[in-house]
Amino acid sequence: MKSAIETEAMQQRANDKPAQHAHAPTEPAKLCLAHVGKRFGTGATPTIAVDDFTLDIAQGEFLVIVGPSGCGKTTVLNILAGLDRPSEGSVALDGCEITRPGPARGVMFQDYALFPWQTVRGNIGFGLRHGTPGDGLSDEARAQRVRDCIDLVGLNGAEDKYPHQLSGGMRQRVALARLLANEPEVLLMDEPLAALDAQTRLILQDELLRIWGQDRPQASRRTVVFITHAIDEAVFLADRVAVMTTRPGRLKALIDVALPRPRNDATRASAQFQALCQDIWGLIRDEAYRATVTSTSEEGGSKR
Amino acid sequence: MIGAADRANRTAIGFALPLALLALWQALGTTSQSARMPIPTHVAAAAFELVRSGDLPLAIAQSLSRVFVGFAVAALIGIPLGLAMGAFRSFERNIDPLIESFRPIAAIAILPLAILWLGTGTSAAVTIVAYAAFFPIVINTVAGAKGVNPTLLRAATTMGISRLRVIRTVIVPAALPAIGVGLRIGMGVAWTAIVAAELAVGAKAGGGGSGGIGQMMFVFYAYSVELNRIIVCMIAVGLVALALDRLIRFVLRVSMPWTSK
Repeated sequence: MKSAIETEAMQQRANDKPAQHAHAPTEPAKLCLAHVGKRFGTGATPTIAVDDFTLDIAQGEFLVIVGPSGCGKTTVLNILAGLDRPSEGSVALDGCEITRPGPARGVMFQDYALFPWQTVRGNIGFGLRHGTPGDGLSDEARAQRVRDCIDLVGLNGAEDKYPHQLSGGMRQRVALARLLANEPEVLLMDEPLAALDAQTRLILQDELLRIWGQDRPQASRRTVVFITHAIDEAVFLADRVAVMTTRPGRLKALIDVALPRPRNDATRASAQFQALCQDIWGLIRDEAYRATVTSTSEEGGSKR
Repeated sequence: MIGAADRANRTAIGFALPLALLALWQALGTTSQSARMPIPTHVAAAAFELVRSGDLPLAIAQSLSRVFVGFAVAALIGIPLGLAMGAFRSFERNIDPLIESFRPIAAIAILPLAILWLGTGTSAAVTIVAYAAFFPIVINTVAGAKGVNPTLLRAATTMGISRLRVIRTVIVPAALPAIGVGLRIGMGVAWTAIVAAELAVGAKAGGGGSGGIGQMMFVFYAYSVELNRIIVCMIAVGLVALALDRLIRFVLRVSMPWTSK
């Protein structure tokens, strides 16, 4: 089913890559990356972070990009966010070219990016108070939405704490609540769980799927692009996993994850889950190995 | 409790050296034949007398009022200027060379001009204080505004917050701790500058009473030659500096609750 959506979308784009299957098109893709390339630096040897990256992401899809350190995952996300412009190709949301950041595409940053001078409540309501997502809302409506988001991520009782008083897991919950409070159409998440310990991570993976609404129909879910280097995390969360290769960052494979939803601990224990993890590991093992023995690029260097 | 005993011990050790030095000073002073040797007991008596007469508190109040005015002027110019420089690189490139070329000129070195233009009264002293405090305030504000975590700025833009509004909602609060450091250093140099300025202004005024602690020291030095009183003034200058620093640290801590652990 996923591959059907994918190929339909591929066919919709009038580009020079012929679709492999012929299906009748149904609905256009939510996010379109067409031959996206990104070079850093100029001169004879620019660093090619991303090369010819083409991918369509459907409405309500949970897409996870996985790849070794320095493969340009973050660059792809920044281009989707409008924080970076592609050197080649184009990127569009609902058919409109993305040229700058906007509240329709909310971003959750790897290092939380919480405002240290704001309390939990202030951080979650920041976009509503100062940005366009709060336009047309009364103060009471904003406060109510902040309260709802606090409930949703389970931060009750911590509303008046400052970020430095919170654990890593709680900070990540604040970042998630802040993202949701702005009600973006697309959630862009850059390794949001990477800094957490293994147990907190598993818990937040479950929470994330619950909040995303994995038991709702796909049409009512938000579109998510999630970046991770953890293969099990990718398989657990994703509808589809996009596997990237390093230098230049290219899309190596798109893997459908047909695991039933809602997913839970039983999913992690299933043979199908394990097999998918093995498949993906097989795709990136050589590159991941190389990344550990050579100096990493600017992206990989910033990762812990 | 061991902790309490430990702490008492440490306090005792901390006081031991100053007390020993004081005792040594007293011994040297009483055995010395020189009329220019101040003696701790005499200094204490002079301090008591200067406080009782109200002369010393008045002088300190006069100096403090000038420091606060000059400091406020420096902050009102330095903070907005520093924020603008930190937020707009092109503006910084134009202004920074100017600031850097004035910075090595010590506050006391502009005194001749200040006196010639503004006379020997309060306005010259306030100007010198403002000049001295301006540099640490503006430089730290620029550093704070430029040092804002870029991810915070990116996060704000992804929430649909306009570039201009980001200055007020992100850059200013993110720079506050650095601005606080600038204000603390600025207050320290402001107090140092006022004493120096009053000493020098006093010289021109012929002891004619522009007031303040520096002026008071000048009178004790040039007219009545009272060494013990000069020592009292020096101690008072140090204590006021300490109190000012504590005060500003307290204000900063209370106004920025997110910086305290």
